[in-house]
Amino acid sequence: MRKILIPCAALVLCAALAAGAAQAGREAEAVKISFATYVWQPTTVAATKSIVESWNKSHPGIQVTIVPVDVNSVHDKLLTNFVGGSAADVIHDEAADIAGFTQQGYLANLSPLISKRFKASIPQPLWDTVNFGRNRVTGVPILMQTYNVFANMDILKAAGIKAPTAKSPWTWTQFRAISKRLTNANRFGVCWGLRSPTAAIQTMSLNFGGQYFYLEGGKWNFRWGAAEQAVARNIHDMIYVDKSVDAASAGLSGSAVLPGFFGGKCAMTVQGNFQAQGMILQGPRDFNWAMFPLLKGTSQNQVANPQTLSISQQSDHKREAMQFIEYFANAANLAKLAAGDWLIPANPASGKIILKSTKRTGSWRVATSSVVHFRKGNWVSLAAYARWKAEVATPQFVRYLKNEISLDELGKQLSDGWTRVR
Amino acid sequence: MSTAHEVRPVARRGRSKAGSGMSAQEAAFLVIPALLPILILSVLPLARGIYLAFTDARAGLDVPTNFIGLDNFQELIHDDLFINAFKIGLIWSVSVTAIQFVLGLCLALLLTQNLHGRWLARSLALVPWAMPPVVVGIMWKLIYQPQAGVLNELLRRGNLPGENIDWLSSFSWALPAVIVVGVWAGMPQTTIALLAGLQAIPDDMHEAAAVDGATAWQRFRTITWPQLRPVIVAITTLDFIWNFNSFGLVYVLTEGGPAGKTELPMLFAYNQAFKYGEFGYAAALGCAMVVVIASGLIFYLWGRLREATA
Amino acid sequence: MIVSSHPKRSRTLQYGLMLLYIAFLGFPLLWMLSVSLKGPRELVELYPSLIPDEPTLENYRIALDDSDLIQSAVNSLKIAFATALVTTAIALPASYVLARRRGILTTFGLGWILLSQMFPLILIIIPLFLLLIDLGLTNSHIGLVLVYTVWALPFVLWMLQSYVRGIPRDLEEAARVDGATRVQILIGIIAPLLAPGIVVTTLFAFITAWNEFFLALVVLQSADLYTLPLKLKQFVGIEGIVRLGPLAAAALLATIPSLILFAIIQRWLTRGLLSGAVKG
Repeated sequence: MRKILIPCAALVLCAALAAGAAQAGREAEAVKISFATYVWQPTTVAATKSIVESWNKSHPGIQVTIVPVDVNSVHDKLLTNFVGGSAADVIHDEAADIAGFTQQGYLANLSPLISKRFKASIPQPLWDTVNFGRNRVTGVPILMQTYNVFANMDILKAAGIKAPTAKSPWTWTQFRAISKRLTNANRFGVCWGLRSPTAAIQTMSLNFGGQYFYLEGGKWNFRWGAAEQAVARNIHDMIYVDKSVDAASAGLSGSAVLPGFFGGKCAMTVQGNFQAQGMILQGPRDFNWAMFPLLKGTSQNQVANPQTLSISQQSDHKREAMQFIEYFANAANLAKLAAGDWLIPANPASGKIILKSTKRTGSWRVATSSVVHFRKGNWVSLAAYARWKAEVATPQFVRYLKNEISLDELGKQLSDGWTRVR
Repeated sequence: MSTAHEVRPVARRGRSKAGSGMSAQEAAFLVIPALLPILILSVLPLARGIYLAFTDARAGLDVPTNFIGLDNFQELIHDDLFINAFKIGLIWSVSVTAIQFVLGLCLALLLTQNLHGRWLARSLALVPWAMPPVVVGIMWKLIYQPQAGVLNELLRRGNLPGENIDWLSSFSWALPAVIVVGVWAGMPQTTIALLAGLQAIPDDMHEAAAVDGATAWQRFRTITWPQLRPVIVAITTLDFIWNFNSFGLVYVLTEGGPAGKTELPMLFAYNQAFKYGEFGYAAALGCAMVVVIASGLIFYLWGRLREATA
Repeated sequence: MIVSSHPKRSRTLQYGLMLLYIAFLGFPLLWMLSVSLKGPRELVELYPSLIPDEPTLENYRIALDDSDLIQSAVNSLKIAFATALVTTAIALPASYVLARRRGILTTFGLGWILLSQMFPLILIIIPLFLLLIDLGLTNSHIGLVLVYTVWALPFVLWMLQSYVRGIPRDLEEAARVDGATRVQILIGIIAPLLAPGIVVTTLFAFITAWNEFFLALVVLQSADLYTLPLKLKQFVGIEGIVRLGPLAAAALLATIPSLILFAIIQRWLTRGLLSGAVKG
């Protein structure tokens, strides 16, 4: 009996050890991570794919698969994924959107995972936008946009108006005066698509320091002060007092005013900086346009609402996911992504790379030099903001810009709405 | 949902033996494959959905669900946005159903006439039915587009007012614009149902009346209308229910905008559930919608009852 | 038929009305065709025309080149096909029972068919979605086919049972007198006579699954699993860069299968289905 038992035991032990080794070997085998991203522009999609491929090649232990997400329903899809427990490991979203998910507990705190080197590569104000209190950082900022004035340089030249420069940008007062000057019987000074004005208004309100939401006694309250009213009032008055903005086009979406701009119906237009791509692709062949530096109120600050990369709290491979994120958003790769989407990279080094490799230095120089003007907007971090924006802010701002309510009434509606929704 | 069947209980007299000698066992065996999925994936979820309406179920990692009784419904009644969505829903359903009916009846009447090229009208009448609602939405978006769209261009060429209106973004015009699309999309089933009803009316009745000297209008009033009424009631009720529950079309056209001017109840509920994760609240919304539809159904049943006893 | 007493005048009126209808029903399609043939520069023009200045098939090429679009069309095809088959298969025996047998079950069945039309999808989709999560079937085609099957069952059952009703009982009774079993009757007598009805029902279920949007929107999250309607909706929202041309082209291409299938069955659909309902 013993003759059989000992070899048997030895055999079992060996088998167990072998299995254990094989298991460890398998675990040392590829960790699989999924990366949900909503990139849709063909250039950016190609850039994303190539970056992921190069990662997979150089990191056989961590394999990344791309999960495409529909850009129009990012929030809905992410929510259903989270609820269903089937969210990807790395999630591409934007700062204002992840506030809600952070509050619901679906996103991992990245602070302990981010390497010092990576943290230093992105300016602190941008990190502030994804900090949801007590050092809880749930996203890595990667790409941002600003709102800029685009101008038809032929019209400006004919009227003898000089373009603003980085050193002497236009103030809102100057912008209004020039728009009025350029308005005549055949054209308007500015075409502005204000169908969804909330983002533009609130982003640019930082020109005057308007944060809208202030922490008072542990609660976030809505305030409607002069700083908050400035931009909305300016736009409203440009439409109805100066009459330099076409009231009819004010109901259109931002990009829908482009045909009018190209057709010479207006001298200037206010767009997201990424619309430089639209200028190039859709503009008539010899259309002479320029993108101007940010407008100035008391400052040129604009709210940063960056695209972000987050890690799902339900992910089993958070460390590996963070490694991938730091690779994906390194200077060279981020430059590729930013160039593809015509957005501003969070890493200033990426900005330099783009400038060296593009022919469109005019608009890109303005874009990359805007990075210093990004500040945290308090509204970006509030979980209830998304609802307030959709249900209260946008309808009320639109009504104000259609001249249906007064400035005071607007403030009251916004305030009451916040009380209801928060 | 696009089906054009009528719902008529079968009146079989004198044949009510336990159907063709089929045993209960046999029947059960044949029905199980359909019954099981229905129970598991339709009846049970429905029950659970109704239950959810009385809870505070919401999205969130490890968030517990508690029974809260009628709290959701209380909040509902005071929710301005819900009341707005409800109002819009009623305006939409009633308008689309009514206009569908009138236009459908007209077209059905036309199709019974011996006109050249009626095959074209008839085929075209069916096209909206075959198209995915998404495509219908896209198509009309192209028409309503303020700059590159054809409606404004036609208005401009005809020197008619309104050439600059962004139809789907205008506070006053978005809902009418969307209603037009709803009518267009729903024409087929209404027209076909009414056409079938018209064709079921025997020609001799018309000929006899014509011989007696009745005008077209008189014949319509005394012969066509009474015979057509059950079909009208049936298809109108079904149309109303389908329209009230409509989602895809308006979602593609406006997503409920501008500022909630076209936010149908289904869209509002969808946002509550899948944008904000308020599952309990959305379920309560669904229950409220059922009440409306149930009243529509009662109207139908009352109509059938009247017709049955008339 | 309503024959008027003033033939000529009313004839003109009738032709006029019919033309209006044809314009109302047909023009949108025509416009979409026109947009699909225009290049991106022309689409940004301030004053569009019906006939493209420089017609181009580029939009179709872009649409067909878009592998995602093709993928979503394939997805739709798979799902619609599966739904049609499964639904018809399980509805056939049940509809036979519904048509032939009176009793609690049939009352329940017919009642549920009607009732299920009533309930707004939102009430069902939330718990259904939660149920799918438990079963691990969200974001999967199988899950969607299941949902579609249950959703399509009511009218498939209704259509089939009305077709079965159209088959005279005497045939069955004669066969039974001759000693045939239930199964033999089903296969030998009912099925062949039901064949056109089955074809119509299957195709109708196919079309409805092909066109469906809302349920797919909720069940599917990954863009690579999207069905065609979801993919098309994706084209719509993206503003900024004009994709109207490829959008129109893709939308037209997406409709063609439905149109063709519908054209095939419409004769039977209207005749068979409605005569069954009207007669029954």
